[in-house]
Amino acid sequence: MASRQELSDFLAGVERRAFKQAQYAVRDADAALDIVQDAMMKLAEKYSDRPAAELPLLFTRILQNATYDFFRRQKVRSTWVTLFSALSPGHEDDNSDPLETLEAMAGSPAAESAQDQVERSQVVAIIEEEVARLPTRQREAFLMRYWEDMDVAETAAVMGCSEGSVKTHCSRATHALARALKARGIHL
Amino acid sequence: MNEKEFGYQIRQALNEAAAALDYKTTYRLEQARAAALARHREPATSPAWNPALQTVGTRSAASGSRLGWFGGFGLAAPTVALIAGFIGIYQWQQQQLPERMSDLAAMDFAVLMDETPIGAYADKGFGILLRGETEDL
Repeated sequence: MASRQELSDFLAGVERRAFKQAQYAVRDADAALDIVQDAMMKLAEKYSDRPAAELPLLFTRILQNATYDFFRRQKVRSTWVTLFSALSPGHEDDNSDPLETLEAMAGSPAAESAQDQVERSQVVAIIEEEVARLPTRQREAFLMRYWEDMDVAETAAVMGCSEGSVKTHCSRATHALARALKARGIHL
Repeated sequence: MNEKEFGYQIRQALNEAAAALDYKTTYRLEQARAAALARHREPATSPAWNPALQTVGTRSAASGSRLGWFGGFGLAAPTVALIAGFIGIYQWQQQQLPERMSDLAAMDFAVLMDETPIGAYADKGFGILLRGETEDL
């Protein structure tokens, strides 16, 4: 059974990567923070009786499910929004400001890095963008294998697929990423 | 560059990005962690219910030296109690045996002293007669 200190250390070590992974998936910092918080609370509340060694796999699985839940909720919400906007008399009174979206993007780490004019930061930002653009399953497999340091079997267990599928996803992600970075003038 | 080396390069870049998170985000992550830890149930140091047999094979190295004899006692005590229970039950049965035998003898004697010949009970017709009388009742 993981003690409070063990859980605290684990969460402190994993929270930034978890946030980034959620952000790559949902492309929204606030939503990503909510997802990470949900995952942390679920882990502490429901799996506190598990040994500390099991926490990484459990947390990755919970984070993944929390991200999928976010997309499900978003889908339901967008369905209702589309329905009501279609029923509304007109769209002339739309007060939404496109600059709000641009401001939100300007506050993102990628944009900040671009503004810093530091070459490395720009490269990092571009890499993050391209990672976020990968298809969901490819990105999950790639990040679990090469960022979370999970082996193929663990990744397959978390993703609920075969080890062969994990290898395929990783290989495709690597090639897609390398191609995309090369197209943007980045050679690793 | 193979897949592993490429993954390592990407990992370096992503680690840099994660390390460069702004204060607002790290503060919110810290708060999220605190909220999660508030929901954590601390493992009990002395569990209220601890089955004695569970100590077998799960004794930790730390508790093994100091509480080793206690763990052994935890295993031995129920075993001794079980054996004592079996002996008690056996003794009680032995005490009850003469009394029960005398009861059985008395019953046999009563059947033998009855007017109905004992052979009648083995007779099929007598059984049918008895069933008929029971149904009439």
